[in-house]
Amino acid sequence: MKKIPKAAILLVMLLLSFTICASELNKPGVKNGTVLKNDSLKAEPFSDATEIGTIEKGRSVMILERKGGWYKIGTAKGKGWVRMLSIRTSKNPKRRLSPKGILELASGRTGTGTVVLTTGIRGLDEESLKTAKFNAQQLSILESFIVNRIQARQFAATGKLRAKTVPYLKEAKSK
Amino acid sequence: MKKVFIITCIMFIYSSFAPSFAADIDKLLKDFIKERLPDKDQFIASTTSELRKKLIKDLKQKYPNHNKAVDAVLKEVSLEEEVAIGRQIVGNLLGAVPLVDDPELQKYVNKVGRWVAEQCERPNLNWHFGVIESDDLNAFAAPGGYVLVTRGLYSMLDSEAELAGVLAHEIGHVISKHHLRVLQKSQVVDLGKQIISQKMGNNQIIQNLIGRGAEIVARALDKRAEFEADRIAIVLTARAGYDSHGLPEVLHLIGHYSADDDRVALLFKTHPHPDARLEKLDAAMGTKFDSDTGQTLENRFYKLKPKKPKSGY
Repeated sequence: MKKIPKAAILLVMLLLSFTICASELNKPGVKNGTVLKNDSLKAEPFSDATEIGTIEKGRSVMILERKGGWYKIGTAKGKGWVRMLSIRTSKNPKRRLSPKGILELASGRTGTGTVVLTTGIRGLDEESLKTAKFNAQQLSILESFIVNRIQARQFAATGKLRAKTVPYLKEAKSK
Repeated sequence: MKKVFIITCIMFIYSSFAPSFAADIDKLLKDFIKERLPDKDQFIASTTSELRKKLIKDLKQKYPNHNKAVDAVLKEVSLEEEVAIGRQIVGNLLGAVPLVDDPELQKYVNKVGRWVAEQCERPNLNWHFGVIESDDLNAFAAPGGYVLVTRGLYSMLDSEAELAGVLAHEIGHVISKHHLRVLQKSQVVDLGKQIISQKMGNNQIIQNLIGRGAEIVARALDKRAEFEADRIAIVLTARAGYDSHGLPEVLHLIGHYSADDDRVALLFKTHPHPDARLEKLDAAMGTKFDSDTGQTLENRFYKLKPKKPKSGY
């Protein structure tokens, strides 16, 4: 009699953690990752934020969101922020099907129209590059799409992109 | 005078003197570099400086009868020449892989690219950007302001900031004249060959310079040039008001491909591994961009249309 509630609580906890994981994995943009180097886990995405733990190289983590150069990650120990470049995201096959492609998949009509992904031009191997012949027509098409500086500024303004002053980065001294 | 020069050149090429002349230049260059600059890359980087003038003077003294040849080979590459070289490379590359047939896409890429290029020290170049019909993951730059991205790489992207990061890396190669330096280096070493091409048309000279077809884009640059272009990319995207972590995000994604995947074969052959690039970026960026509030603009990012099915059924 005494043992049952304990087991039940454990079971409930386990189930809860599964659902939490599942719900987070289902969120768009949630990725998994591996820790590339030992680093500290911060309460907020700033280098002088409170350290709430550490992460060790090789550990798997769940990437919940990104802010600037920081990833919010979920680990067995809890959530926190870690520098983006300390994590390597895991392979997350992004298959982008067009609405048409999805329809075709659903109706089982794949196989004819959708195999075009594998047809067409050969890879950019050295041989095809060496034997490439000058194509004046394609070059003039490319050059016809030129955007001038004024158009570029208008485009930036539409996207609310504001130019900033940022000095060039120096090469880091090797350790 | 010109005839005399050409005759001198021909005589000189067909005599056994030619190889020794080329070898001498090579040796002279090597000694010169060793003596004054132990770092070869720095030497190539300093082609516009005093060193270059000194080199020309030395060569002229050593070969008083070939002043003109020395001039022709070591002169500065003018803007016109730079653009001509770039056009030849890009025209050849487009001969192998055409543009994606989607004017709206091409116009969009030019807008993003031109705005990023606006943040660099050569905003007045006639910058051209394009997406080419290849499933490979790659991007190319050619002298004079030409930048091409493959369909494969473009379709991996999720936001305008990521596209800006990729284009900014290539803009970095153009403004640092990385490819031009490689060409100049080979030009100096291939002095003899260059003299032959003096008799040929302009396009032929350029074609000789860049090698066969578009093979130059399959040639790896110095690793340091790639790391430099990465650092420039971070800065240019940040200056343009974008989230500066677009390129690191893309490098994360590219890092997932195995080296034996055909689609990344050329990229991995010509660039350091994405992990190494991320590591270098991390070291250079430190915490400077941690609280970057630039825009990602996912909503404005132009989604690629699926490839048109081949007709003929």
